[in-house]
Amino acid sequence: MNRFLIILGIIAVVFVAAPLVIVIPMSFSNARSLQFPPPGYGWGYYEAYFTDMRWLRPTYNSLIIAAGTTVLTMILVVPATFALVRHRFAGKSIADIMLLMPLAVPHIVMAVGYYSFFGAFGLVQTHLGVILAHTCLSVPIAFLVLSANLKGFDRTLERAAQSLGASPWRTFIHITLPILKPGLIISALFAFVQSFDETVVAIFISGRNAATLPRKMFDSIRQEADPVIAVVSTLLFVLVLIGIVAPPLWAAIRARIKAPSALSTIEKRP
Amino acid sequence: MQATIARLAQRPNLWPWLLLTPLAVYLAVFFLVPLIDVVIMSFTEPRLSLANYEKVLTGVLYQRVFFNTFVTAALVTLICLLIGYPLAYLMNRSTPRTAMLILTLVTMSFWTSFLVRTYAWMVLLGDSGPIIGFLKFACYQNPPQLLFTRFASTLAMVHILAPYMIMNIYSVMRKIDPVLIRSAQSLGARGGSLFRHVYLPLTAPGIANGSVLVFVICLGFYVTPVLLGSPREQMIAGLIGHQIDEFLAFGMGSAMAVILLLMTLTILTIYHRRFGLDKLWG
Repeated sequence: MNRFLIILGIIAVVFVAAPLVIVIPMSFSNARSLQFPPPGYGWGYYEAYFTDMRWLRPTYNSLIIAAGTTVLTMILVVPATFALVRHRFAGKSIADIMLLMPLAVPHIVMAVGYYSFFGAFGLVQTHLGVILAHTCLSVPIAFLVLSANLKGFDRTLERAAQSLGASPWRTFIHITLPILKPGLIISALFAFVQSFDETVVAIFISGRNAATLPRKMFDSIRQEADPVIAVVSTLLFVLVLIGIVAPPLWAAIRARIKAPSALSTIEKRP
Repeated sequence: MQATIARLAQRPNLWPWLLLTPLAVYLAVFFLVPLIDVVIMSFTEPRLSLANYEKVLTGVLYQRVFFNTFVTAALVTLICLLIGYPLAYLMNRSTPRTAMLILTLVTMSFWTSFLVRTYAWMVLLGDSGPIIGFLKFACYQNPPQLLFTRFASTLAMVHILAPYMIMNIYSVMRKIDPVLIRSAQSLGARGGSLFRHVYLPLTAPGIANGSVLVFVICLGFYVTPVLLGSPREQMIAGLIGHQIDEFLAFGMGSAMAVILLLMTLTILTIYHRRFGLDKLWG
């Protein structure tokens, strides 16, 4: 049984990995079609991506919208998370469910709602409209990440600061925020990625003016399967790779640099 | 000090409400109102009646789409389980370094935009792609059409949703105490019976989590079936999009959206009663 499961597992690993790898050689293809393996290689489609406003504009839109969504999400979620994690009050469980609701509703359902609701207020095809919609979808994810961090927070540190005479506000600025910083950054990052990747709502409400990158990719795949998609895909994939591999790598490098430097400072002391 | 504490105890604490209000108002306006708008439209577009629901629930076309969606979602969930379970098991059994490597791979797949993954499958299954190429090479003169079929969309959805299953099962498997397995072995459990009576029940929560998540996401999946699937065998989300985009039939689109929403919420409510919703995305 064990060997059987292990062989199946190895097949599964190949299944997970293969499609991710295939995108990279495709981006260097010089064929006009989706031929794989490509007949020849070149930088042609990279040049096309970085010079074509039809691709650069959606990229820019996506960055603006994701940044706006992140800021708005954090402004709303940070205080709410403190309320929900640190206080007990009537209706708390309802508030918890309400916060997670946007994760439970299929995006296509929200797309129909936003299409009609934002249409009535002239918010369709605007950056603001997409930001307002994406914020709803980012809230639960940012909340889940941040509340997990806040639950593990050691409150004796705050009490220690206050017993030493720090005001609640000072305690918050000098103790709570710095300790919570990694959680806040990860939470904001999740909100950003959620918006940057969101496709369905963007397809229906971003229109031509605020078209996001996923929308452009969707249209492009649907219509002509422009090989520039492979370039965008590779770039996105490399970003993910950096995001996942870089933090542990950086930590390892820093640990290696720090160890000797700490030693040298000790040696310098008379 | 004493006086302050007494005063604080007497006064009802307004802080949580103050902190929570901005988000609550925001979600009410930009989440609940559009959602309620969908429900209202399903009854009032084009005029006040139950006609939309009657059409959706009795029309043969719509019934077939709902049935298709359910079967596809169940199939995707099953295949994800068949792929995810052995993979999680492999991770759990291998050295920490290998496990880390596989986990990085799965995480990368998870974080890669599903449009990118959909595109990759388009290349893999396309007419000038490697699979058709191989079939031609292996003396199939007329290889079957792979792209724009239910097979293509099912396969791509499995690939896209498998990480949810793998991570859920792995997180449970990792916590199993090896002592339990060893004691079962010392009591004579071997092979199949060890798996059935010890391993499977211990990993059941991970299987339940992963399956619910994959099934629910698959029910409402829009992008991949629309791009890779057969136009004649749409899923619910694709049909809703079609009604809105092509026909501007907001009533019909909304009625289907409401039914999709009810199905999703029913499944999640049952799950919530048994396990608690916050654990699902753990």
